[in-house]
Amino acid sequence: MDIIVAENIRKKFKLKNGQKVKNNGVVSDEVEALSGFNLKIRKGEFLVLVGPSGSGKSVFLDLVSGLSAPTGGVIYLDGKPVQAPSAKTGYVFQQYALFPWRTALSNVECGLEAKGVPKDERVRIARELLSLFGLSDFEDRFPYQLSGGMQQRVSIARALATKPEVLLMDEPFAALDAQTREILQNELIRIWEGTDTTVIFVTHSIDEAVFLADRVAVVTARPGRIKELIEIDLPRPRTGEIRSSTEFARNRHKVWLALKSEVSKAEQYTKLATGFAG
Amino acid sequence: MFQSRGGKDKSMNISNQIKGWFASLTIPFVLLVLWQVIVSLGYVPAIILPSPEKVFSTFMTNITQNDLLRHVAASLERVILGFIIGALGGFSLGLLMGLSRTAEKIFGPTFHVIRQVPVIGWIPLIVMMFQIAEIPQIIVISLAAFFPMTLNTLAGVRNVRKEYLELAAVNGFKGLKLIRRVIVPAALPSIVTGTTLSLGMSWAVMMAAEFFIDTSYGIGTRIQAGRSSFNMALVLVGIFTVGLIGYGLTITIEALGRAVNNGRDVHKEI
Ligand SMILES: Nc1ncnc2c1ncn2[C@@H]1O[C@H](COP(=O)(O)OP(=O)(O)OP(=O)(O)O)[C@@H](O)[C@H]1O
Ligand SMILES: [Mg+2]
Repeated sequence: MDIIVAENIRKKFKLKNGQKVKNNGVVSDEVEALSGFNLKIRKGEFLVLVGPSGSGKSVFLDLVSGLSAPTGGVIYLDGKPVQAPSAKTGYVFQQYALFPWRTALSNVECGLEAKGVPKDERVRIARELLSLFGLSDFEDRFPYQLSGGMQQRVSIARALATKPEVLLMDEPFAALDAQTREILQNELIRIWEGTDTTVIFVTHSIDEAVFLADRVAVVTARPGRIKELIEIDLPRPRTGEIRSSTEFARNRHKVWLALKSEVSKAEQYTKLATGFAG
Repeated sequence: MFQSRGGKDKSMNISNQIKGWFASLTIPFVLLVLWQVIVSLGYVPAIILPSPEKVFSTFMTNITQNDLLRHVAASLERVILGFIIGALGGFSLGLLMGLSRTAEKIFGPTFHVIRQVPVIGWIPLIVMMFQIAEIPQIIVISLAAFFPMTLNTLAGVRNVRKEYLELAAVNGFKGLKLIRRVIVPAALPSIVTGTTLSLGMSWAVMMAAEFFIDTSYGIGTRIQAGRSSFNMALVLVGIFTVGLIGYGLTITIEALGRAVNNGRDVHKEI
C-alpha cells in the first residue's frame, strides 16, 4: 500500500528582479526545482533520496511536509492532498532543528504541546524517547550545551514524539563526524525497525543510503525527477557488521552507478554557469 | 570566540568582581579629588561650586529634615507607573505591527511621525489637556517608555528566523501558542533590550517632566527648588541622587533581563 503518492510534481521559484537562471538551456527568471517528479512510497518503508546538490530533494521534503505548495501536480498522503503541515508528518531539519531557548526535554515535548497534550503525559512520552536515545541525563540541557550528535538525537526524538506516520529527514547526520554518524545510523535503524513509521531520508552518502534504505531513489540534476529506484536487498534487522559484507558492496555499486552520471551532469551545469567550459 | 559550556569558575568570579568594583570607583574618586582641589584653591566661587563636604551635609539634612526620601519615592512611583503603562503599550503595538503587515501599514506611519517629536515637546500640550499635575507627569513618562519598547519589540518579532517559524509549523504551533511559545521567546533578547531602554528613558524624562509640570514632591522638583533659591548644593544633591538611582534601576532591570534570558540563550544559534 502506498502512503505517499507524488504525481507529476512541478515546483518553480520566482527569482528576484534581475536574477536569471538556465532551465535545460533556456534562460528564465524562474528556477525550476522539480519537474515531472513522480514517486510512490510504500507504507512503512525506509526510502532514501540521493541526488546531486541542488536537485530539489529538500524542496520535495518541504512539499511533503506541507511547508510549501507545488506549482503543479499533487502530493497525496493517505489518499488526501497535502495542504498544510500536519501531525501526520514529522520533520528533522539539518540546521535549526531545535528551539535554542528550550531544554532537550522541552524540545521533545514541542509537538505534543502544540497538540494540547497535558503536561504529565507530555513529559512521560518525552522522557521515554530521550532514554531510547540514551539522553536521559541530558534532559535539562539547552541545545548549545549538547554536542552535534546529541542535538540530532534530540531532534529525531522531537519528530517522533507525536508518532507521525511519515518522518522526513533532510541530511540529519551531514554535519557529524564519521564515527558519530555511524552510531546514529545504527540507533536510528534500531529504533525505526521497532515502529511502522514511513521514513523519507535525504543524504549525500551512498553508504548511509544503502545501510538505511529499503529503496534508494536517485534524483536527477535540476529540474529534479526520479531517475531510478533501487531495491536494497539486505536483510533486516540490520546491524553495523553488515557494512563490510559483499552484499553491501554490491548494493553500494548499484547506487553509485545510477548516481554517477547525474552528479557529473550537475557538475557540468555549474561549470557552464560559472564560465569554465571552453 | 570561545564559549564555555558549563558555569563559570566561582572563585575567579568573586576576585574579578572585587577588581571590577575598584575599577569602577577609579573615575569617581579622581573627579572627587579634582573637585576638592578646585574648591580649595578657590578657582570657583562657592556659590557656583560648593565643596564636596557642603554637598554631603546638604544631602544629610535633606534626608533628615527635608523629606528627600519622600521626593525620591514620589519620582520612583511616577516612573514605575509610567514605565509599566508605556512598556506594556509599546510591547503590544510592537508585537501587533511585527505580526501583521496590515497593522504596520495602519499604525506604522503615524507612529513614526509622532516619535520624531521629542517627548518633552509634548509637555505643553499634555499639561493643557489634563489639569491635575500627576496625570500629565505619568503620560509624559509613559510616552518615553513607549517608543523604545515598540521599536525593539517590532524589530525582535520581525527578525525571528524563518527556520524557527518552519520548525514551529512542522511542530503544529498555531495562533496564540505560536506567538507565546515561539515568536515571543525568539524575540526575547530584543524585547529585553527594549525594556532596559524604556526604563532608562522613563527615568530621564521624569526629571524634565518635573521641571515643567508643578508638583509638590519629586526629585526634579527638588532640583528646581534648589535652582530658584540659588542653592547649588541642593541642585548637586538632586543630580547625584537622580544619577545613582537611575543607575540602580538600570542594574536591576538588566539583572532581571539576564534572569529571563538565562540559559535560553537565543543568541547562540545552533
Ligand atoms: N526559495 C527559493 N528560491 C529560489 N530558488 C530556490 C529556493 N529554494 C530552492 N531553490 C532552488 O531549487 C533548487 C533545489 O534546491 P534544494 O534545496 O531542494 O536542493 P537539494 O537537492 O536539497 O540540494 P542539497 O543536496 O545541496 O541540499 C536549487 O537550485 C535551489 O537554488
Ligand atoms: Mg537539501
